Amino acid sequence: MLDNMLSVMIFLPILGGLTILLLPFGRDAARAIGLAGSAVVALFSLKLFFSFDPSVVLAFVEQRPLLESFGISYHLGIDGISLLVLMAAGLLFPLVYLLFRTRDKGYYGNLLLVQGAMIGAVCAADMVLFYVFWEIMLLPMFFMIGLYGGPRRLPATIKITIYTITGSLLMLASIVYLGLAHHAQTGQWSFAMAALTELSLSGPGATLAFFGFMAAFAIKIPLFPFHTWLPDAYTEAPAATTFVLSAIMAKIGVYGVIRFVLPVFDESLVRYALLFSWAGVISMLYCGLAALAQNDFKRLLAFSSASHMGIIALGVFCLNLQALTGTLYQIVAHATSTGLLFLLLGLVEEQSESRQIDSFGGMASRAPILAVFFAVAMLASVGLPGTSGFIGEFLIILGAIKFNVVIGVLAATTLVVGVCYMLWLFQRLFFQKPGKSTDRCRELSLVEAATILPVIVLIIVMGVYPQPFLDRIIPSAERQIVKVVSERAAVAEHAPVSNQFQEQN
Amino acid sequence: MFDVMVVLPLIATGAGAILIMLVAAFETFRKEGLSILGMGLFAFAFFVQLTVDNSGDITPFAGVFNGMLVANTFTKVAGLIILACGFFSAIAAQTYFTQNKGFVPEFYCMLLFAAFGMLLLTMVAELITLFIALEIMSLAVYSLVGYDRRSVVRSEAVLKYLMLGAFAGAFYVMGVVLIYAGAGSTRFAEIGATIAAYGFLANPALVGGSLLVLFALLFKAAVFPLHAWVVDVYDGAPLPVTGFMATAVKAASFAVLANFLTIDSAIHQEWLIFLFYISILTMFAGNLIAIGQNNIKRMLAASGIVHSGYLLIALVALGSEQVSGAIILYYLAAYGIATLGLFVALSYLSGVEEKRTVFDDFRGLAKVRPYSAACIAVFLLSMAGIPPTAGFMGKLYIIAGAYQAGHVVLAVIGIVSSILSIWYYLRLIVVMYFREPEDDFAVAEMTLAPLGTMVLAIGIFAISLYPVAW
Repeated sequence: MLDNMLSVMIFLPILGGLTILLLPFGRDAARAIGLAGSAVVALFSLKLFFSFDPSVVLAFVEQRPLLESFGISYHLGIDGISLLVLMAAGLLFPLVYLLFRTRDKGYYGNLLLVQGAMIGAVCAADMVLFYVFWEIMLLPMFFMIGLYGGPRRLPATIKITIYTITGSLLMLASIVYLGLAHHAQTGQWSFAMAALTELSLSGPGATLAFFGFMAAFAIKIPLFPFHTWLPDAYTEAPAATTFVLSAIMAKIGVYGVIRFVLPVFDESLVRYALLFSWAGVISMLYCGLAALAQNDFKRLLAFSSASHMGIIALGVFCLNLQALTGTLYQIVAHATSTGLLFLLLGLVEEQSESRQIDSFGGMASRAPILAVFFAVAMLASVGLPGTSGFIGEFLIILGAIKFNVVIGVLAATTLVVGVCYMLWLFQRLFFQKPGKSTDRCRELSLVEAATILPVIVLIIVMGVYPQPFLDRIIPSAERQIVKVVSERAAVAEHAPVSNQFQEQN
Repeated sequence: MFDVMVVLPLIATGAGAILIMLVAAFETFRKEGLSILGMGLFAFAFFVQLTVDNSGDITPFAGVFNGMLVANTFTKVAGLIILACGFFSAIAAQTYFTQNKGFVPEFYCMLLFAAFGMLLLTMVAELITLFIALEIMSLAVYSLVGYDRRSVVRSEAVLKYLMLGAFAGAFYVMGVVLIYAGAGSTRFAEIGATIAAYGFLANPALVGGSLLVLFALLFKAAVFPLHAWVVDVYDGAPLPVTGFMATAVKAASFAVLANFLTIDSAIHQEWLIFLFYISILTMFAGNLIAIGQNNIKRMLAASGIVHSGYLLIALVALGSEQVSGAIILYYLAAYGIATLGLFVALSYLSGVEEKRTVFDDFRGLAKVRPYSAACIAVFLLSMAGIPPTAGFMGKLYIIAGAYQAGHVVLAVIGIVSSILSIWYYLRLIVVMYFREPEDDFAVAEMTLAPLGTMVLAIGIFAISLYPVAW
C-alpha cells in the first residue's frame, strides 16, 4: 500500500468523483462518499508529512513507462516543495464536505475530481503527466462555477476557461519545446523533470518557452496583468469553489514556477526576475487598493487573496533562499488563513443570502465563535506575529530587501494596505449597529466549530513553532535554488549572494 | 493464401455491397435485417484487416492486378479507421431510420461501396486505379447525400457536391494526363524514378500535373481554398452520412495525399511552401466559419476544415521524419472517434426529421440525459485537445512533429488555432450543462446508437495512451 501511496491519493478521489457523477446517488450519499474519500486522503497526507525524509531528492517515487517511444512515463514523487502544496490539497478538502451540506451530488463529485487532479499535478515528476493533471483540474472547476455559481456565473465561467486554456496551451507548446530540446541535446526523448533540469537552454526559443510557462502559471496565480478573470470567478463561484480556487489552485501556479521554471529556465528567470517581481508588487498594491473599494465581501476577499498571492509570487522571483523559504511557508499559511476566510464568509452568505458589507454589522454579539475564528484567520492573513502568516511574510520581505531595496520597501508598505481593508471589513461586519442581514445569520454549530478548530490550531502552531515545517522545506528549497543563486552570482559578480546562502543554514 | 487475406476486406465490402443490393430485392429482408447485415460486413472486414500482418510492402496478386495495389502497415491502419467509421455510421443509420422516414434498402449498399472505394484508395500505387477508386467512393457518397429525392435540401446539397466533385475529377484526370506526358507512366514507382533521374522542376508537365492532382485530392479533404462546399453539403446530407463523410472520406483523402506526396521527396519538397500556407489558411478559414455557426452540423463541418488544417501540418512535416504517417493516422483516428461519436449521438438526439439541430435545441441536455451529455462533452473536449483525451495526444504529436521538422511557426499557429476552436466547442457544453431543459429529448425506441456513443466515448480514452511508433 505504501509503495503506491501517491497513486492512491490521486486516483481514490478521481474514482470516487466519477462514481458519484456516473451512478445515480442521492445528495447525502454523494456527500458521504466525498467526505470518506477526502478523509482517507487527509490521513494519507498526514502519514506522508510525518514519514517524509527531507534529505531525499524525490520521495515516494513511482515510475512506470507510459509512452515509451516518446519518453513519457507515469512518474510520481514529491520533495519538500510539493509536500506543502500536497498537504494543503490533502487536508483542507474534508472541511468543505463538513461545512456545506446542501449541495447537489454533482458538486461533491466535481470536488473529488478536482482534488485528485490537484494532487496529481503536485506529485507529477514528468512534464506531460503534470500537464494532463493540470488540465483535468480545469474541467471540474468549469462545471462547478458554471453549474452552481451565482447569477452572473456564465460570463465568469467563460472568462476563466478562456484564460486558463490559453495559458495551458502556451505551456503545452513550451513542454513540447523542452522535450525536443532534450531530444536534440541527448538524442533521446524524455519529459522527466530531472532530465529537463540538466538541459542547457539558451536563445530566443528558450526565452519563448520560458514565457509560455510563465503565462500559464501567472494566469493561475493570478499575477498582474493576468488577474482580470479573478474577481468575477471568485465572486460568482460558490463558496467552496472559491475556497478551492484561492486556497489550493492558485498555489499550484506558484508551485509550478518553483518546481519547474526555477530549475529548468534558470538563465531566463535570472534575466527577467526583476520584471516579474515588479508584477508581484503591482499585484499586491493594485489588488490591495481595489479591495479597499469593495462593498461585496466576497469580492473584497477575492482581491485580498490576489494581493497576498502577489507577495507569494514576489518571494519566488527574489531568487534567494529566505524569500523562497518564506514563499513556501506562506503557501500553507495563505491556504489556511484565506481559505478559512472564504469558508466562513461562505457560510454567512449561504445563511443571509447577501454579500453586501453594508447590510451586516454587529455580528460579533450574534455569532461570537464565528467572530473569533474570523479574527484569527484575518490576523494570520495580514501577518500578525504569532500566526502562520507572519513567518512567511517576514522571510519574504527580508529576501525582497536583499534582492532589491525599492521592491522590498514597497512590498512591506503594501502590507499596510492589507491591514487596512481587513480591519475595516472586520469592523463593518462584526461591530457597529446590527444590519438587516445580520438577523438571518446564526452562530456556528458544534460540528462546524469542531471542523474549523483544527485549522485555527494549525494557524497558531505554525506561527509559534515553525521549525518542523522549515526542516522539511529548506533542503528542497536549497536544492531548487542553488543553480539560480550561482547564476546570479555570476551575473552580479559579487560575493554576498553565496554568503546569504550560508547565513540561513 | 496470404494475398487473399490482404484483399479480403476489399472483397467483403465490395461483394457485400452487391449482396445487399441483391438481398434488398426481397420483401422479407427489410430495414432491420439489412442494417444488421451492413454492420456485420463492416465488422467482418474490420477484424480481417486487424488480423492480417501487413508489415513491409506487400503487392497482393501482383500478377493479376499488375502491381496496382500495395499494402503495408500504413494502409492497414488507414483501412481500419475507414472500416470502423463505416461500422459506426451504420449504427447511426440504423437509429436514424427508426426516427426518420425515407429509408431505402440501397443505403447500406452505398455505404459499403464507398468504403470499398476508400480501401482501394488507400492501397493504390498507380494513378488510373486511384481515379477509379476515387470515383467509386465519390459516386457512392453522392448517392448517399441525395438518396432522399423528395427533400429539397438534400437535392441542393448533392447537386453542389456533384458539380464541384465532377470538376475536381476533371482536374484530376487532366493532372494524370500531364503527369503521364511528363513521366511516361502512371505508376508511382516509375514516376518517382523519372523524377529522381531528371529532376522535378525540369519537367513542367510533371509540375502542372501534380498541382492538378493535388487540387483534386485537397478538394476531397476539404482544404482551403476548396473548402467552401463542405458546410452546405454536410448540412444538407442526412446525419449518418455527414458523419461518414466527415470521418471516412477525410481519412481516405489524407491517406492517399500522404501516399501521393511520398512518391518522391522532390514532389513533397516543391509543394512544401504551398502546403505550409494552405494549412495556415485552412485553420483560420475553418475557425472563422465555425465561430459563426449556430447549427451543430454546420459547426462540425467547419471544425472539420480546421482539423484538415492540423493534418496538413503533419503532411508538411512529412518526410522529415518517417513517423509522420503514424501521426497522421493517429490524428485521423482520434478525430474520427470524436466526430463520429457526435454524429452517432446526434442521430438519436436530433429526433424526428432532425428537428433538433441548433445549439439552443440542446439546452439542459445534461439534466435530462446525463450520459449522452457526458459523452458529447468528452467528444468535444477531445476535439478541442484537452488531456487526457485522444485529441490531446494527437495534437501533441502533430505539434511535436512540426517543431522537429523546423516549422515552429506552424506549431505556434496550430496552437493559436486550438485556442480559437475552444470557443465553439465549449459553447455546446455550456448550452448542455448550464441551461435549464425545455425538451424531454424523447427517443423513438430502444436503438443501438446510445450504446455506440458510449463505446466511442470509452474509445477516446482507450486510444489516448496507444503508443505511436516513433
